[in-house]
Amino acid sequence: MRRLLANAAVALVTAVTILPLVWMVLVSFMPRGASSAYPPPLWPTRWTLENYHELLARRLIDGAWFDYRVLPALWNSVLVAVISTMLGLLLTVPAGYAFAKLRFRGRERLLQALIAALVVPGQVAMLPLFLIFKELGLVNSYAGVILPSLAGIFAVLFVRQATLAIPDEMLDAARLDGASEIRIFVSIVLPLLAPVTVTLAVFLFLGSWNDFLWPLIVLADQHLYTLPVAVAAIGREHAADGELMMAAAVVTTLPVLAIFLALQRYYITGLLGGSIKG
Amino acid sequence: MTRQSRTAWLFTVPVLAIILLVFVVPTALALGLSVTDYSIYALADPANLHFVGLGNFADLFATPLFWRAMANTGLCALLGVPMAIGTSLAVALLLHDRTVRWKPLWRVLLFAPYVTSVVATSVVWRFVLNTQFGLLNYALRAIGAPGVDWLGDPRASIPAILLFVTWKVFGYNMIVFTAALAAVPVDLMEAARLDGAGRWMRFRHVTLPAIGPTLLLAAVMSVAGFLQIFAEPYVMTLGGPSQSTTTVLYFMFDEGFKWWNLGQASAVAFILFVLILLLTMIQTRIGRRYEWL
Amino acid sequence: MIKLFRRHIAVPSGTSRWADANASMPTAPTRRTVIAALPAALLAGCSNRRDPRALSVWAMSYEGDYSPLLMPAFTRATGIPVEVQTLPWTAAHEKLLTAFSGDSLPDVLMLPNGWVGEFAMIGAIAPLADPALVDDVFPSVRAAMRYGAHDYGVPWSVAPQMQYYRADLLAREGFGAVSLDWASWRRMGLALKRRRPDDYVVLSYLNWPDTLFTFAGQAGAPLLRDRDTRGDFAGPAFTEALRFYKSLFDDGLAPRALSTELQDPIAAFARGYFAIYPGGPTLLLDLRRRAAEIPPDRWAVTRMPGPRGPGAVDGISACLAVARSSPRPTEAWALVRHMTSARSELQFQAMIGNLPARRSAWSSPQLATPRLAAFAAQMRQPASQPAIVEMERIRAEVQLIAERVVRDQLTVEEGTLLMNRRVDALLAKRRALVEAGRIA
Repeated sequence: MRRLLANAAVALVTAVTILPLVWMVLVSFMPRGASSAYPPPLWPTRWTLENYHELLARRLIDGAWFDYRVLPALWNSVLVAVISTMLGLLLTVPAGYAFAKLRFRGRERLLQALIAALVVPGQVAMLPLFLIFKELGLVNSYAGVILPSLAGIFAVLFVRQATLAIPDEMLDAARLDGASEIRIFVSIVLPLLAPVTVTLAVFLFLGSWNDFLWPLIVLADQHLYTLPVAVAAIGREHAADGELMMAAAVVTTLPVLAIFLALQRYYITGLLGGSIKG
Repeated sequence: MTRQSRTAWLFTVPVLAIILLVFVVPTALALGLSVTDYSIYALADPANLHFVGLGNFADLFATPLFWRAMANTGLCALLGVPMAIGTSLAVALLLHDRTVRWKPLWRVLLFAPYVTSVVATSVVWRFVLNTQFGLLNYALRAIGAPGVDWLGDPRASIPAILLFVTWKVFGYNMIVFTAALAAVPVDLMEAARLDGAGRWMRFRHVTLPAIGPTLLLAAVMSVAGFLQIFAEPYVMTLGGPSQSTTTVLYFMFDEGFKWWNLGQASAVAFILFVLILLLTMIQTRIGRRYEWL
Repeated sequence: MIKLFRRHIAVPSGTSRWADANASMPTAPTRRTVIAALPAALLAGCSNRRDPRALSVWAMSYEGDYSPLLMPAFTRATGIPVEVQTLPWTAAHEKLLTAFSGDSLPDVLMLPNGWVGEFAMIGAIAPLADPALVDDVFPSVRAAMRYGAHDYGVPWSVAPQMQYYRADLLAREGFGAVSLDWASWRRMGLALKRRRPDDYVVLSYLNWPDTLFTFAGQAGAPLLRDRDTRGDFAGPAFTEALRFYKSLFDDGLAPRALSTELQDPIAAFARGYFAIYPGGPTLLLDLRRRAAEIPPDRWAVTRMPGPRGPGAVDGISACLAVARSSPRPTEAWALVRHMTSARSELQFQAMIGNLPARRSAWSSPQLATPRLAAFAAQMRQPASQPAIVEMERIRAEVQLIAERVVRDQLTVEEGTLLMNRRVDALLAKRRALVEAGRIA
């Protein structure tokens, strides 16, 4: 009895949670205007791809191109997210390791400063950052979008936390054998940190993919728009076209959901801190 | 310099330099801007830029919309944090039950909303919350309750947005709590059970102290998160109705990037900064008091 | 400045958004066309950089969506390609200002007339290279282009706010046409509401200032005083306008709704959810597209009601300007000349409804239709608002206070006094500069 109740409750909560996402997919296949009905239709009466066609296809009309630029924005998002993930890992994994295992002057004080900075809202820095980037010529460029995402305070602390679990003796033994610090990091630490790195990579990727406010401010040219910025612009203009917007939401959501599902084992385990096995 | 510290600097300086450039320097500059009258006139002619001392803060305190934004944000945090943390904890406890099967599956599905983009899912939620055709009102009417004008009634708009935010974020803390619950000592729990402690007593005296530090950390991060709500009203309500969803950050964005009153907007940013710092300190203090940290 | 009623663009199901721009386009896409389109679209995604030879143009809403159709002629004549970027109205002001301060404005930008002074003052746009560009436009429209001693934009289209109404619904209650003065308009509205208590008479979003400012303009309210350095909202004219505006909501003639709430206003208009829809000429396009839902014999359009009959009305009239930062001003002005030629304006009128700003265009038989006659009459009586930097913000903030008055959070008197206080605060900087003699 108890078993049934507990399982039913979990299933119900999950169903309610996942319903908006399922509904999003269903509505995106409904003909235009079909979702504005009462009671709300839960299943398309007629499946159609017209929303995706209109959203994704570029059409030549009277010699002028017409395009929502969703696919270009998708590529932009992929590019930006991949670059910021790669660079983010390159910058934060060694730093996290250094903060955990390497002795250097000022380490403790820097660490405390980083922890304190964790609660400072990034938006405080946003206005002057725009002016700085303007001087540096970074406004309206990918570099302008990517650079702030590389200031991974959280990522550094995350890696440091994971690295603390590596026994010092292992590193000291390598040092005694005459291995250089770089070599120790590359051939001993990195393999041990692989699962954490994957977790962090997913984390960074999702963060970059879903970032909205800063790209909205810093990107002026629609050729550079990332997906959320493009979708928000379409949404402001086409709020009435519900099914079209749902298709746009699906295009925005599906890639990250796919990556998350593919790597969920690492990602969730990373969050669980290894204390629970699947 | 030792070999270790040379390597350490090599490893840390790049990221620290970037943090300095995109975070520390601008934050300091924000403080500087907040005592100037940087506005669209200064944009036109730098000669129009003046030092105004605390004038921006005085102006802000005399602006009713600023106080509304503060109140709205306060309400978000006050309602949102218990709502989000409560949901996370409740679901984590539910999942923790020994009899529940397929735990990894449930975990992944419950976590899914967290990885989606706010812009995309707010499109979906604008439909879910629609007064006439929305799923939520459909469900309410099905159980005999009257429908609510979720995004049109100034009293319902914040709860509506919080509902959306909770749905989106609860999965994260649910996972965090799941990890904490797994670390609750089994023997202690068994001992309490043998002593005849009921479910609530066991939760209160065994589980809660064990997950206390995690709970506190989650609360601190949640408060900071709910004080920074921006994208949801930006895409869903444009701050309305009756400015009921204009949050501090939305107000800052409007002042700053819509009207280019950078002086005023920086003052807002600075106030938000101080607020979050204060709240974090208070929460840490409470945590120390109950020996959770 | 004015955000009229064309953000909610919806298309009848099964047709393309562009169906009536080009009737030869295949409408209902099949699975095959989708699959065929995908690789092309993927390729398009790869060649994603901007064409360096192209001139860039930013325009809002329908103007942005449809102006690419004006460009092939220009490209054929000059060999210069043009890329148009559409901005949503609700984000246009911040987008333009941010782009200006980030040095990323396009070569040519569309501005509603009310923003010209602001963008000229900050040095974002260049004065007209050739004054002959504005020779032929209506003098009242041209006046809005001036800042200091120069013209800064070329009027592109005129779009006064009008009232579209469901002639069939009104006729059923015995009204041959919609009333044009407030008192009888209100009587008519109340009669309609009595008959159809679940529906509304008029749609006016609580977060858009257009209707209130139209009423204020018609009542002759001055808005600002002391050389436009202080608010003047507590006078009898504005109070009368605000009272009338509020009565629409109090009497249930207008729903207390925001633009984010109504999913599809055209469908609601077709359903009879409201009988009168104030809007600009682009609504003609929407109604033409949706003729299947709302046949042309069911609606008519005429001038907005005024306190004692129709009067001066503002609209979302737009001009084209060239960014000061444009590296190719000569070519940019050539493009402006092309886009604002009588021929282009007439072509645009046929596509999206906007009325030509050039007098010479009005001799065309294309504009001599009965439906456009009311627009033509209204055009000769444009309203003008103070041409100051803060005006867009003042409109937004006044509307915020008006919304609270409508929701009974403030009385009319408290509201108008608060408007004055708020506007005085917004104008503090300008006041100081005017008093110091730094700006006129």
